[in-house]
Amino acid sequence: MILIFGGAYQGKLEYALHNFQIKENDVFCCGESTEIDPSYSVIYGLENFIMGCVKEGKEAKEILAEYESLLKDKIVIMTDISQGIVPMDPAERSWREMAGRTMLYLGERAQTVIRVFCGLGQKIKG
Amino acid sequence: MNIFISGGCKNGKSHHAQELARNMSREKSLPLYYLATMIPCDDEDRARIRRHLSEREGWGFETIEQGRDICRALDGYTLSGEKVSPKGVFLLDSVTALLSNEMFPPGGEVSSDAGDRLAAELSEFARRTGNTIFVSDYIYSDARIFDSYTENYRRALAHIDRTLAALCDQVIEVSFGFKYMYK
Repeated sequence: MILIFGGAYQGKLEYALHNFQIKENDVFCCGESTEIDPSYSVIYGLENFIMGCVKEGKEAKEILAEYESLLKDKIVIMTDISQGIVPMDPAERSWREMAGRTMLYLGERAQTVIRVFCGLGQKIKG
Repeated sequence: MNIFISGGCKNGKSHHAQELARNMSREKSLPLYYLATMIPCDDEDRARIRRHLSEREGWGFETIEQGRDICRALDGYTLSGEKVSPKGVFLLDSVTALLSNEMFPPGGEVSSDAGDRLAAELSEFARRTGNTIFVSDYIYSDARIFDSYTENYRRALAHIDRTLAALCDQVIEVSFGFKYMYK
């Protein structure tokens, strides 16, 4: 698995499409639900999936663990939401914490981890 | 050489940018300019400007006040009344303040194309000077769903940041004194 993360609007998806020669129709865009389709090469917007888990009272990494073998050759893209002010809203607070736990889980399993900053990538693992 | 610097708030970006600008002007024997982008609207702003001025004292910067239409600074004058040389070294601190001024002008109307406009203006500024250090703010890792004004502002600033990061010769992230060079 390749994990690509970075702040909002940093060009994470463009970076993946460009550097790993992925076609745009091979990208699964997560909605705010617990659904993931591992038939695509790229799983994009994992933070939305995590919000879906928060809303349905589930733990994201437990669902991801069920897909572990299927996600092995995927590119997973997620917005880093860990560096701002603690939100007032309890759901947003849970979202932020679950996102942190999920990043740790994915970062441990990924062969390659890349952080995208203003469109430029920094390889921090692999 | 054009340089783009970003990072979190109060991380030492400005100080590092000042050092880079001063060294560049010394090495190339070029005039050293500080582009003051804040348009003060209350006493708090005026106090902040006084603090910034005293922090830059002794560094050799000539201040140019330009809160909007940034390229006009190249045909203007410094605070001390001298004609600006476009071939000097410019420290632009910050892109964030410029975008606020351009996007939210006095009168309450929001300028929705401010991001595209400013990205083009700053690209031109970089091309004309060749020796500008741009300082921006990394405000993209909040766990918040913001109102549309804030979200549009973040999207516009990211568009400018990415434009500048692509065209600058050096891109540096400053994180609590730790510096990572992407380019």
